[in-house]
Amino acid sequence: MTTVKLSINGAEIVAEAGLTILEVASRSDIKIPTLCHVQGSPGEAHCQMCVVEIEGQEGLVRSCVGPALDGMVITTDSAAISAHRLERLAILAETHFGDCKAPCNLTCPGQINVQGYIAHVAKGQYEEALRLVMERNPLPFSVGRVCPRFCETRCRRILVDEPVSINHLKRFVADWCMRHEIELKIPKDAPTGKRIAVIGGGPAGLTAAYFLTRKGHDVTIFESAPKLGGALRYGFLEYRIPREVLDYEINTILRLGISVKLSQKWGNDFTLQSLKDQGYAAILLATGTGVDIPLEIPGVVNPHTYSAMKYLRQVADGKNPDMGRRAAVIGGNNIAMEVARTLIRQGVTEVTVIYPRSRTEMPAHQRNIREAEKEGVQFLLMASPVTIVDAREQGSRLKLELIRMKLGEPDAKGVRQPVPISGSTNSLQVDSIVSSLGQIAVVDTFSGGELESSIAISPNKTIDANVRSSQINIEGVFAGGDAVSGPRSVIQAVVSARRAADNIHAFVMGTPKEEVESRFNFTRGKGFDDVDLKNFDGINVKLREKMPTRPPEICRQDFDEVKLGFSEKMAQHEAERCLSCGCTAFDRCDLKELSISHNLNINKTGMGTTPVYARDFSHAAIIVDKNKCIYCKRCETVCEYDALELGAESFDEKGRPVGLTLTFKENCVSCGKCVDNCSTGALNKKAQTIPIHTEPVKDVRTTCPYCGAGCQIILRVQGDTVIEVTADPEQAPNYGALCVKGRFGHDFIQHKDRLTKPLIRKNGMLVETSWDEAYDYTAKKLFDLKAMYGPDSIAGFSCARATVEENFLMQKFMRTSIGTNNIDHCARL
Amino acid sequence: MTNSIANIKESDVIMVIGSNPDTSHPTIGLRIHQAKKNGATLLVIDPRRTGLADIADLFLCHNPGSDVALLNGMVHVILEEGIWDKKFVEERTENLEELEIVTAKYTPEYVENITGISEEQLRAAARMYASPGKKCAIYYGMGLAHHATGTDNVKSIANLAMLCGKLGVAGGGVNPLRGQNNVQGACDMGALYTTLPGYSGLDNNDVFERYEKLWEVKLPRRKGKAATEVWDAILEGDIKGLYCFGEDPVLADPNALHAVAALEKLDFLIVQDIFLTETAKMADVVFPAACFAEKDGTFTCTERRVQRVRKAVEPPGEAKADWQIFCELSHRMGYDMPYSKPEDIFKEIALLIPQYAGISYERIEKVGLQWPVPDQQHPGTPVLHIGKFTKGRGLFIPEDYTPPKEMPDEDYPLILTTIRETPQYNFGSMTRKTPEIETLCPEALAEINPVDAARLGITDLDTIEVSSRRGSVQLRAKISDRSQVGTIAIPYHFAEVPVNNLTLNSLDRLSRSPQYKICAIKATKVEA
Repeated sequence: MTTVKLSINGAEIVAEAGLTILEVASRSDIKIPTLCHVQGSPGEAHCQMCVVEIEGQEGLVRSCVGPALDGMVITTDSAAISAHRLERLAILAETHFGDCKAPCNLTCPGQINVQGYIAHVAKGQYEEALRLVMERNPLPFSVGRVCPRFCETRCRRILVDEPVSINHLKRFVADWCMRHEIELKIPKDAPTGKRIAVIGGGPAGLTAAYFLTRKGHDVTIFESAPKLGGALRYGFLEYRIPREVLDYEINTILRLGISVKLSQKWGNDFTLQSLKDQGYAAILLATGTGVDIPLEIPGVVNPHTYSAMKYLRQVADGKNPDMGRRAAVIGGNNIAMEVARTLIRQGVTEVTVIYPRSRTEMPAHQRNIREAEKEGVQFLLMASPVTIVDAREQGSRLKLELIRMKLGEPDAKGVRQPVPISGSTNSLQVDSIVSSLGQIAVVDTFSGGELESSIAISPNKTIDANVRSSQINIEGVFAGGDAVSGPRSVIQAVVSARRAADNIHAFVMGTPKEEVESRFNFTRGKGFDDVDLKNFDGINVKLREKMPTRPPEICRQDFDEVKLGFSEKMAQHEAERCLSCGCTAFDRCDLKELSISHNLNINKTGMGTTPVYARDFSHAAIIVDKNKCIYCKRCETVCEYDALELGAESFDEKGRPVGLTLTFKENCVSCGKCVDNCSTGALNKKAQTIPIHTEPVKDVRTTCPYCGAGCQIILRVQGDTVIEVTADPEQAPNYGALCVKGRFGHDFIQHKDRLTKPLIRKNGMLVETSWDEAYDYTAKKLFDLKAMYGPDSIAGFSCARATVEENFLMQKFMRTSIGTNNIDHCARL
Repeated sequence: MTNSIANIKESDVIMVIGSNPDTSHPTIGLRIHQAKKNGATLLVIDPRRTGLADIADLFLCHNPGSDVALLNGMVHVILEEGIWDKKFVEERTENLEELEIVTAKYTPEYVENITGISEEQLRAAARMYASPGKKCAIYYGMGLAHHATGTDNVKSIANLAMLCGKLGVAGGGVNPLRGQNNVQGACDMGALYTTLPGYSGLDNNDVFERYEKLWEVKLPRRKGKAATEVWDAILEGDIKGLYCFGEDPVLADPNALHAVAALEKLDFLIVQDIFLTETAKMADVVFPAACFAEKDGTFTCTERRVQRVRKAVEPPGEAKADWQIFCELSHRMGYDMPYSKPEDIFKEIALLIPQYAGISYERIEKVGLQWPVPDQQHPGTPVLHIGKFTKGRGLFIPEDYTPPKEMPDEDYPLILTTIRETPQYNFGSMTRKTPEIETLCPEALAEINPVDAARLGITDLDTIEVSSRRGSVQLRAKISDRSQVGTIAIPYHFAEVPVNNLTLNSLDRLSRSPQYKICAIKATKVEA
């Protein structure tokens, strides 16, 4: 073998003669970016990404064709090279049209892989769907019931008919797994030996404990109440989140191995200092906003006026306070709506919500306002309380004096604050009053010790923590959830706590924080107005499934859950409505990866805005979306059958193809190698409907279970599901080649018809039984036959599909346990 | 295979007989196509015009079941023309005289009468394969083995290869393409009625002693019954209990209705499988098994390469890996098999089976090894028989042509042959769960030659009834001249067209392989 000696990026390399620069670099583990190159076959397309500089030569050289010659001094990265690559990428990106991530996913504060779990639902993989949700949100039961559903407001299906009922699907998979007693087997890293204290067992505390435990830390939750749940238990009553559901959800988290200390009041039973003394490496404050902003009007101190949290907590604890026949709720936030609906359920016949502005300005979610109204809650708007007086002599316990409000002149910011209309008094006869003017983390300062009183408090009466690092002004103490942000949705508390958990992990391990995922994203249009309606050609109107709901006049009578949840069929129908906007090639797209690594800003340089080509579903296993094609021609180059043709009518001034044609020729055997080599999402496997974002995917190398060729395959596993099959081009004996069975024929693995329990024949019927019974019965029958007719009265067929080890054991079993050579298999069949 | 898949590109001449690797072994078929494109000479011998036949340099479309005559004819021509490898034959073989005697009568004229192949074609084929000094490989499949004369066919192949000195060279060899992922491994492990693991037979005392000492048990030395013989044994009352591991004889066995009758007569039937197969539905006990993606282990492929199988996901419900089921059942039968993982079993295999002695999970972590691997340092054996045969000299065992068992007659004037389609696999219990594959290959079509179709008044996609003396099926017809006149080919992947209700359970006298590839049938159009 003749060799050449050359230098790449200063490294001296001795290589086989006759190779290209790209090949030499790749064998020396020097990565040169390329979009079109396929190992072993020089393509005719020129992505020009692989350019390098060679000392003594003018300009840039394509390393995929340039031969590696003796004495060459090569640079693979320089300002000129980067500029050239960036320019090339910008040209390709200008016409690349599609969504990297779906809008629902981008809108969700939790960045949950919405499209992914909906696709799992469509496939009937409910367990995997839930696992995918729980990669980022450990509270799918609660969030699935009370989420404001930011995602649904951006669902592209709105441009066709109605958004997909995303949240109901999340609830469905959670409930389904609970009903079927699925053990989720959530993975956990090896123990780190670090102890972490979480103060507060509400949504934020539970979330942080969940993620920290998964990282291998030893977490203890300190909760002041006798039960965990916080706002999930005391902010939402049974009719929103049934207790058994909440308990199940909390137990799912605790089963990971989390210590819990209940009825432990911070400042009384323990302090930050005592926790530090006990050796906790970090402390998270997740105490939520359990304090009501007090109502400060004359007469407020009386036995029949409550603050919202105090009232809800009493009901939640089953104390059933006497609220009389008529009640007023002061305030227009979400908690006020829960209070009003709870009052109705307590048998209060007249519940009036009082709010100083108009209905549309109420901070509560409009959906919650509507629900309350349906159940009979009345609204007295543009009114403000002035005093509370004793009214026992007038037939009610209290009289609430009110003043009418109007919108004043715009202030400096242009906001029109309500101002009282003088002399417009009005009054309301009530038996009780509940005020919900807003919730805060702390009235003044925290108490308990020096550390506590030094905690910095924001003007909004929440804990002052750094948004990025989650740290407060005390070393090793972090804060998250509503305690920092003020009252927000559950999913926002989850996000905040997840971030805090990441920060705590980095802090206690002394490691840098995991890099934030790039926000780089191709989109079919940011706002609805930007989305070309041609995108929806051929999509028929199919309205969303209606959530089965108990009628308001019935459900207002008790605390049972109002919304009953989707049936499996409904969930399937709903999941099928998903337009699957996001790219299923997300995790393998080279165009995206190189654009990110070269800092391409497509928002400036431009991206495709309209679909030029209709998607082609005519191939049995492959979907073609030429709008994403960058004409790298890898599909054509890599096809070993010469069965795929990529062509263009002409090329534009920047060399991009116009009038693309992609044809699978008659001799296509559907082996799918083209898809696995596509540099973007232009080619996709029909069955691979789950976009992989940042979820962990395990690549398991194994041997194909079909014919005797022994092809090596890679099973790509997410959670406990094989989501696709690929092959390694460097692995003998098949070197990346597979047939249609090897790449696509694996749906049987997780098929619903798989046997899951031993069966035994009883009264002529095969019925499920335990392994113990099946083994004992079999052993006894074999024993009896052997005793009565001799060992040769029993024969065994082994299995040419099972492993070497199992065939060895089968014959060993027949020859030892039975004692016969009546053992054979289907080699002849 | 004596040689390796990677060898395909090194061959000067590739002879494919009784195999359609495009459908049965697609990635191997691909390499043959590529070798042809890169200049190899391709000789295809098959009663059906396969995809490879279309691109072959020479294609012999012989009469079904006439392989021995054809191969003997090739030997005859090669001897007559003196183009055999005298050095190889002299140094490495014995019994040439016998070969000369037996093949003497297989003159081109005599052969043409049996096979339908002209003298010109026969001579061209013989010369093409013999090509002195060139690397010539033979690939064959079940098209050769699924006959009552299957072993004769295989022996005739070996005679031809030895005579021309095509063994023990990269790019040459005799290469059976094995059907299932681990049929090679199952044979290696002695899941055979005639031998202990490692092909050591049932008459070798030393081997028995080693096994008995290690396993601490007395082993039976009586010959067992072949799978294909079990049915008669059941019907005659000799066999009462059957442990059916991963097989579905109700669909798979020839003359399947005969097998069903036998299964019904059994006292006790155990089925261990991943699905409730047709056979499992008849069982007394069904053990739910893990599939390949749910367990660790190894498969040995057609090129004798022992490769890892790795667990990727959990088995569904309470299903268990097969090895665990054997261990537990054996324990309850009073014989302990205390393995805690498949690797423990593999270590015992390496200890007992000389071909596997040098293989360990560690060594095959990245790339599998091809047996024999006699010791830990041995790099594996990509090409068998270099320099000498394992058993010394290669023995020519010439056989005479015997006609197939059931030839067409007045009542059943056509021949049925069973075939595969690329997208489907065996009886479809696995492939038919994938919608894409069902789209590509949704139904069994009876491939019928236009001449026969015209005679029978059948047009494309007509529903026809195909019957043999044992059973009948209904399916739609596909008119194609890939099947020769007088032959209908039907894929066997579809439970709704149980084509093995028609096939003949006539067995090869040595291997006990059934004659799947030939039985007499009739076909009639079913009026709508």
